[in-house]
Amino acid sequence: MDKPVITGNTMIVPSDQEYLADIDAFLEATLRGYDADESVVADIAISVSELVINAMLHGNKSSPDKSVTVTINKVNGSIRITVSDEGSGFDPESIEDPLAQENLLKEVGRGVFVVRSLMDEMDIKSTPHGTTVTISKAI
Amino acid sequence: MKLSDHEKDGIVVLEPKGKIMGGPDASLLHDKLYEFIGQGKKKVIIDLSKVDWMNSTGLGILISGYTTLRNNEGELKLANVTEKIQSLLTITKLIMVFEAHDSVDAAVKSFK
Repeated sequence: MDKPVITGNTMIVPSDQEYLADIDAFLEATLRGYDADESVVADIAISVSELVINAMLHGNKSSPDKSVTVTINKVNGSIRITVSDEGSGFDPESIEDPLAQENLLKEVGRGVFVVRSLMDEMDIKSTPHGTTVTISKAI
Repeated sequence: MKLSDHEKDGIVVLEPKGKIMGGPDASLLHDKLYEFIGQGKKKVIIDLSKVDWMNSTGLGILISGYTTLRNNEGELKLANVTEKIQSLLTITKLIMVFEAHDSVDAAVKSFK
């Protein structure tokens, strides 16, 4: 895959952060179609950007042969979004606490913590064939 | 994201605009910040008034600039932190790290 593809409420992008702005545009347009307020839109946009960057860098290791899939749904008054990669999985328990004093000034390692803080729910399913993170937030 | 800059009383003021989410946009802020640091300019203010939101990549750039300047007897301060970014700084406890001011003028005065 050499460029993003949108099919309905799903966007598939190559593992290149150049496409972050395209994903954000797709996401925000979809959310506004659901009448989500601006603060909620921003929280979800921040969270999806975190998950997509993790999927590209840590999941797919920036491989041009692997893609990231983002799917948006409205379910019972909540927005539910899944972000999937084609990597080899990871142990969610291995993520360090970014609030620990020794980690406070680290430049990386806050993404999952930020998503957990901004979203109502977050579920990580990681296997040797890829990781899928599902987040949801009421609108 | 777009980025402009100017100097006020010898202090560098960076003005990012839009969203700081990673990729080429984030590199722009990082590279400009380090361009000034490389020129020996050690007093920097980042005016966040026109930033819609940032993610942890943006926070990482702020931390990188903060620690680099601090290690070189300089200082990075924030001005006009928006509600959304304030919230992010609070949940990550970085609110305790950065000195933030209500305006660029106030931030400039604080350097004296």
